[in-house]
Amino acid sequence: MDNDDLEIIAGLKRENQKDLAFNSLVNKYKERLYWHIRKIVLNHEDADDVLQNTFVKVWRSIDKFREESSLYTWLYRIATNESLTFINASKRRNLMPLNETSDFMVKNLTSDPYFEGDQLQLKLQQAIIRLPEKQRIVFNMKYFDEMKYEDMSQILDTSVGALKASYHHAAKKIEDFLKNSD
Amino acid sequence: MDDLKDIAPELSKLKKENPFKVPEHYFDDFSARLQMKLEAGKMIVPAKQNRFIYYLKPALGLAASFALIFMLVYWPLKTFTPNQTANNNTDTEISEDEGYLSIVEKMDENSFFALLYEPTNAVEFSEEDLVAYINTNITDYDIYQGTEF
Repeated sequence: MDNDDLEIIAGLKRENQKDLAFNSLVNKYKERLYWHIRKIVLNHEDADDVLQNTFVKVWRSIDKFREESSLYTWLYRIATNESLTFINASKRRNLMPLNETSDFMVKNLTSDPYFEGDQLQLKLQQAIIRLPEKQRIVFNMKYFDEMKYEDMSQILDTSVGALKASYHHAAKKIEDFLKNSD
Repeated sequence: MDDLKDIAPELSKLKKENPFKVPEHYFDDFSARLQMKLEAGKMIVPAKQNRFIYYLKPALGLAASFALIFMLVYWPLKTFTPNQTANNNTDTEISEDEGYLSIVEKMDENSFFALLYEPTNAVEFSEEDLVAYINTNITDYDIYQGTEF
């Protein structure tokens, strides 16, 4: 854990420094967490909601942070769970089966005015959307964020071997989609 | 295993560009908006309930429901139904009959016939006594009234 994180954690535990420390935490992690969330929920408005919910949850459960993992992995874990909860809640609201994601997500992506990708990038996103939920998250974290498997293992509570296998399968499926779709 | 060029050559040729954008100054404004949300959340935090009451609440509700059902349905039915009243009357009649029956059953055959042929204790009176009774208690007008058709 880096020194900044240690200072933030120490500040969060002191009542008179809690607000200041939390503000530092938000400023340090808001962008990284936003992009992680955005790649899962795809739409900016949704990502904004989930990011706020993530920090609200962090504020409320900061006393439960046991320092067994780094602050960074703890925050990513909360953000990931909040993103998945949000997607499932959206599907329930739209009366969609929980195992049917792709059409709903493609619609979510193409309706977003803040998606500015070209045709190739849209095609790549469509391929990623068609992956199973866990593979999708693993692929995004490895391919776009270039995160280490060890960190991913802590965030997703999955073995490094299983993560490597997930990434391998995800890449193969995306490759097939890119080759075989118009 | 994760060498992208080997497993996905087409994918590895793509540039890793971020196709997602955010509104201008989004990250600059984020902290202030989050602070507002946290403040709003503080204002609507519900008061903590007693845990004992929290766990006991369903059981208490169930008990109250049963008590209400008993009060509204079972007790009035038990008290005011016509069948129950008829039963009560029948019970009384049966008990009177049973009383007579028990007297007869306790009697032996000889006692029963002796009772049947027993001479009555009726007072025998003569014709003169009868005329004297009529003269004393009944007027001529009453006799006239009684004989008129």
